[in-house]
Amino acid sequence: MISAPVTLLVGLLVIGSGLLVAQGLASARKGKVQFEALLLEDDSAFPACPSDLVNRIFFADDSKFIQAANSPHLAELFRRERRQVALVWVQQTSASIHRVMHDHKRIARVSKDLDFETEVKLLWLYSELMLLCGALSLAVQAVGPLGVRRLAVYAHAHSQRLAQVQQSFQAATRPRELPRVGAA
Amino acid sequence: MNVAGRLVPVQAAYDDLLQRSLAKLPGDLARLIYLASTRDYNTGNYHHDGLAARFRPDAASKALEIAHRDTFFRLSAYSLEQLFEELEAYLNSSHEVPEDVLRTWQKLEPYRVAIPVDVNPAMARLFLSNIRLALAIWRHRQKQAPEPQ
Repeated sequence: MISAPVTLLVGLLVIGSGLLVAQGLASARKGKVQFEALLLEDDSAFPACPSDLVNRIFFADDSKFIQAANSPHLAELFRRERRQVALVWVQQTSASIHRVMHDHKRIARVSKDLDFETEVKLLWLYSELMLLCGALSLAVQAVGPLGVRRLAVYAHAHSQRLAQVQQSFQAATRPRELPRVGAA
Repeated sequence: MNVAGRLVPVQAAYDDLLQRSLAKLPGDLARLIYLASTRDYNTGNYHHDGLAARFRPDAASKALEIAHRDTFFRLSAYSLEQLFEELEAYLNSSHEVPEDVLRTWQKLEPYRVAIPVDVNPAMARLFLSNIRLALAIWRHRQKQAPEPQ
């Protein structure tokens, strides 16, 4: 028999995870607004994110240069600026993940030979990444980007993995669909 | 025209741009500002009279666009310290009073329009942030420097 404290704990974990996923999804939506100011024509796709960008934002190399200036004002400005950049990165990553999944759903809807196991894996990876983005968004606001670099590197690597899986899926379904389009 | 026929003039225009115009400028930040200034605010097209006269206008425009993106990507990879050194070199080489340039840059943020179109948003945001920080560091160092006798 499951005791009341365990039930309460599990319940809180489920609610907490749900809230983090919601935060991740909200980040994806917020991203659309922010990017309009950066001259993107539409939000259909983001230009490629350089692989070292996550290191530049979340690692402490630049902060050492700021610390050498020995100015509380500069240190505070640096923290504020990096927090903003990190939040843009989280929003962008979250929006990219959301778009990959959106594209996958669009293709999967018309595909006739879906693999149940792959679909479950993709959904799990998507949920995990959205939860991560939600957690990252809150953590960046709470402690700044330098305290969450491992989480950011993990999210970056797995968002790339999700995109690769989706591309493989798209490549695998495309040859079977093209003849139908040509025949019509 | 075949693909090679289209690519060669762009490559030639690009090489010419590097050798004649960009090599004379003191650093990548100066190059970025210069290249951004050749872009039309309304259309986003690049134009350079001399380059367009020596090559075809479309090849010249494409060469300027490529050079702009290349320079931006190079600058974006700079550490904050390297970017600060670039800014210092740019301010010292300008024909204006560095303090005046600094004040204008901090108030109007003209470097915002130096970003090429369609670059990664987080990358663009990091670049703007680093310029803002480099300006603040420069101002801080000016305050710390002893007054001239």
